Amino acid sequence: MAVTDADVPPPLLDIPKAKEKKYDRQLRLWGIGGQIALEEAHILLINSGSGVTGVEMLKNLVLPGIGHFTILDSAVVSEADLGVSFFLEDASLGRFRAAETVRLLMELNPGVQGHAITEPLETFITKDNAFSPYNLVVAAAPIDASILERIRTHSQILHVPAFYFHSVGYLSSFSLLLPPAFPIVDTHPDSTATTDLRLLRPWPALSQFAKEKTAGLEDGTISAPDKAHIPWACLLLHYLEQWKKQHDGKVPSTYKEKSEFRTLVRAADPNEENFEEAYAAVLKTLNPPTASSAVREIFAAPEAQQLHAASPAFWLIAKAVAQFYAKHEQLPLPGAVPDMKAQSADYIALQNIYKSKARDDCAEVVASVRELEKQTGRSPKQAVDEKEIENFCKGAAHIHLVRGRPFQIAHAGQAITFGDRAKAMAMELTMPESLIGLHVAFLAWDEYVATHSTPASEGGGVGLKVPGSGADDFGTDTQRVTGIAQKIVDCLIKEAGTFVEDPEYSETKNRVGNFCMEIVRAGGGELHNIASLTGGLLAQEVIKVITRQYIPVDNTCLFDGVASRTQVLRI
Amino acid sequence: MQRRDRGIAQSLGLLLTKCVKESRVLLVGAGGIGCEVLKNLVCCGFGSLSGTASSKKPGIVVIDLDTIDLSNLNRQFLFRKRHIKKPKAFVAKETASQFNPSVDIDAHHASIFDSQYNVEFFETFDLVFNALDNLAARRHVNRMCLAANVPLIESGTTGFNGQVQAIKKRVTECYDCNPKPVQKTFPICTIRIWAKSYLLPELFGTSEEESADVAVTEGDSADELAKLKEEAEALKNVRRMMGKSEFAQEVFNKVFHDDIERLRSMTEMWQSRKAPEALSFEGLKAGSETEIIEHGRTLAEQDQAVWSVQDDLAVFTYSLDTLSNRCLTGEKVIEFDKDDKDTLDFVASAANLRSHIFDIPLHSEWEIKQMAGNIIPAIATSNALTASLCVMEGFKILRSQLGSVGGKEEATLGGAKMVFLNSRSTERMITTQTLAPPKADCPVCSPVYAKLRLRNGEGGKATLQELVDLLKEKVGYDEFAITTEAGIIYDPDLEDNLEKPLKDYVTHGNGFITVSDEGDEAKVDLVLSTVAHSGEDAELQLLPDSIMLPYKPKRESPAETNGHAKEIRATPEVVAAPTTTSSAGAKRKREADEEAESVKKRVMASKSEVHVVDDDGAILLDDD
Repeated sequence: MAVTDADVPPPLLDIPKAKEKKYDRQLRLWGIGGQIALEEAHILLINSGSGVTGVEMLKNLVLPGIGHFTILDSAVVSEADLGVSFFLEDASLGRFRAAETVRLLMELNPGVQGHAITEPLETFITKDNAFSPYNLVVAAAPIDASILERIRTHSQILHVPAFYFHSVGYLSSFSLLLPPAFPIVDTHPDSTATTDLRLLRPWPALSQFAKEKTAGLEDGTISAPDKAHIPWACLLLHYLEQWKKQHDGKVPSTYKEKSEFRTLVRAADPNEENFEEAYAAVLKTLNPPTASSAVREIFAAPEAQQLHAASPAFWLIAKAVAQFYAKHEQLPLPGAVPDMKAQSADYIALQNIYKSKARDDCAEVVASVRELEKQTGRSPKQAVDEKEIENFCKGAAHIHLVRGRPFQIAHAGQAITFGDRAKAMAMELTMPESLIGLHVAFLAWDEYVATHSTPASEGGGVGLKVPGSGADDFGTDTQRVTGIAQKIVDCLIKEAGTFVEDPEYSETKNRVGNFCMEIVRAGGGELHNIASLTGGLLAQEVIKVITRQYIPVDNTCLFDGVASRTQVLRI
Repeated sequence: MQRRDRGIAQSLGLLLTKCVKESRVLLVGAGGIGCEVLKNLVCCGFGSLSGTASSKKPGIVVIDLDTIDLSNLNRQFLFRKRHIKKPKAFVAKETASQFNPSVDIDAHHASIFDSQYNVEFFETFDLVFNALDNLAARRHVNRMCLAANVPLIESGTTGFNGQVQAIKKRVTECYDCNPKPVQKTFPICTIRIWAKSYLLPELFGTSEEESADVAVTEGDSADELAKLKEEAEALKNVRRMMGKSEFAQEVFNKVFHDDIERLRSMTEMWQSRKAPEALSFEGLKAGSETEIIEHGRTLAEQDQAVWSVQDDLAVFTYSLDTLSNRCLTGEKVIEFDKDDKDTLDFVASAANLRSHIFDIPLHSEWEIKQMAGNIIPAIATSNALTASLCVMEGFKILRSQLGSVGGKEEATLGGAKMVFLNSRSTERMITTQTLAPPKADCPVCSPVYAKLRLRNGEGGKATLQELVDLLKEKVGYDEFAITTEAGIIYDPDLEDNLEKPLKDYVTHGNGFITVSDEGDEAKVDLVLSTVAHSGEDAELQLLPDSIMLPYKPKRESPAETNGHAKEIRATPEVVAAPTTTSSAGAKRKREADEEAESVKKRVMASKSEVHVVDDDGAILLDDD
């Protein structure tokens, strides 16, 4: 099931009491809407290797109440599994790992349904619509390259987001394949970034209010307490009017002008707190209400330009907001007012002025959406929900669009290409702090697996051989993996059409080589806390994707446990 | 080697694996992070070979005072529904032991402040993990670890964010070297504060005597004060009607009608703003009292909805009825607790009624709970990430104790870092900072720590004089002061206590005695942890026997120790409500910690500003 369709906002009050209490602490982050999306989701984990990371990820999804999960894994529990996975017990030995893990995971949350598929991956994957029950697929390395290829294709055709991850020793990484258009309205921007008071473009009601509140300020007839309680927004509006009179009707626009303006405001009263607040707010709030380039890109996207009867609601609203923006040269007003020193009554009046303008702006967008619905012949049953439009208008300045990119797959003997990212990634290679070397090392690790394993048709997952897993192959495997990695580095530099000189070139190879040595040394074994951490990162991104809130990783996240840091690269 | 260890041994190497297995670790807290840390510890083999064959000690000790609540289950994965109300420490041990029977876990359902957890207890560990939810306990463990010279890994999460900090005495900053980050506070909470910290205590608290002290502040007329006192007095009279059927109506009319009418009568206050509109019980009520209570009971279940004024009246009546019954059946004092639904119903409905009167937007109970109860969002993923990072830092610290490995140059604490988690960010989810060296003037980690051994834990008949003499002899003090939790007990001008027995001031356990040099060229403070001994030795003994203190580094101004509650009087915020600022302006200093729950509720008014010390520890104070 694809999640690109317009989701109908859930009824707000249907969530039962006990459940609400249980999930209280997370509802405060992603709300009822996010919770319902989570509870309607079904996630598939294609597990392999020592298999801890994927299970740790599921733990973090079962606890907050994901609807269904399925583990696809034909492995049988071994002694080594017991030493590293928390969700297996002594009695599990010799049984199917998927079934045992599902049973123990389900103990965590009776509201969650878990399923185990122990059928071999290579037969499962050949079925048509193998992925249709799932909202999201997560695949663990090592995996047969041709099967990974099929997973990628399924994901792209059905628009089912897919994750592919590695977790070896102290190191891990994951890549995320999202649909070609993955828009997010609820990006939860930092609260400091959301203040939008339109002080440079006040509307009559706001100007009038500011005028009333600042009456008597210039001739000194205002009482001291009243002066001390003029909301800073009104102060700035007042002084902006004065500034304009002295500057041919222009507002302060350069940094220099704003600094000058700021000093002027401060000089008007050096003692009162509200004047200080006004002074402090100048640089942050005196910005023209232009949309960011990311938002304008969304307005210009083909999906917004070529609407049709079945267009997702997002694009319909985006088009309507784009029209609004074209007409008014500003986005719909969000309507929130930050804290400021004021009399309560004045503060509330100010809030109401902003809210009322926000409502008017939103109403205009709603009207445009209705018009677009008519024009595109959308069925009234599919009418875009007004709440969704309102939500869009509130967050319009921060909407985000991710264009999903397929993750790379290393086949035996085939060159790996970076396409339009080659130049940027070649540049990345030479940065001493970059973790791209880890990405290259994992690609090399994959190619080693593809080269040294029995093909899927013959042995499937059981025949996968990872570097360093044999008794004495540490030295030779390190050489092999490092060799492949260096070839990838050279190909990338060539593809980028650049040339890396020494000492940068040797240093690059050194860094990549160190990562290779480290992952071969671990021999495909997972370290529990690194698996747990990677599972946490994965679950976090899965939640972002399922709830369509917050901006997910685009598209590869690398983690170095020794340095305890991550890096996200668009590859 | 068992095949079970393959993964660990291959990643950590044999030397570190052995060290991890033979280590002994203390985990303080078995909540969100604690559960995850415990899982990581057992899965990584910590403590599985701790102690020698002859003196086998549990490899992992976990201490937690809390019991399990339903709202824990979305992340604290060692607990199930059937465990609700059971001690976290015991259940965590039980669940985690099933995974690795070879790890011996010792669980304590106790407070880390208990005297049994003294410095000698802390000294038995190789590593301490803090997985706590409050500032006071974090500071305490920090101090104990400094005293015992045991490395500490401190951690915390809020929503999507988390932080891990490795602390080692004399090597890194300690927890108290820096002021703590400020938690989000809700400055516009005067109305809720009124409901929670004035009205509720007035009706169900200890206020019979004097909780509503009226502050005499500049600008308040004597008249106004008299009226306020009168108002509080009148409320006490109403309180005496508790249990009678007209109680709800009386309270309602008192606070939402009579008091408002009185405010309204002060016309000069309402010249430039909208005057409040009083409500009347009779005018609003729909149905009989029983019907209203029933209606309120139903509404109280719908905490996501914003109730209408009539609804608020119903919930108010219902909660008042419930609370009265509790009060009359023996509960002497009912205090606000966000998880006590009856008090939350009361505060939410009363706050909304008052908001309506002052034409302020109403909120749902769910929203009010967050504002009044200081709820910190918490999710499984952040805990999992943070705990994994804690254990990673643990590996590094243990590795650093092995000495130089493979000839590599060893970084501070094996390369341990200050790690920040911000999973909301899409670019920089986990970032690090180099651990800073200790702050030279940190009042907590700059002193020298030593032990004072007291015979049988109290030093018998030993007097303060004997301690003073001992310090003069063994440390070479001339002019100095001695401070305990009770305050200064001795300094050059305070000799009254010298003849008193020491046990009046100190107890063994985890108390600290601070000795500060008052001489011209001052030496650093000496902090003594008191421990008991039962031998035949002297009553008082310093350990080590003699101490050389270095001189203090020069500094501008003496650092203040934190944690002393500011002296603030309480007054009902009635006068201030309409003239309050809605600001958390630049000049206001907000001191808050994530979860300090112990600060008492106080509300203070001066001039026209409202100063709030909320019981969530959020303090808003004027700076000037």
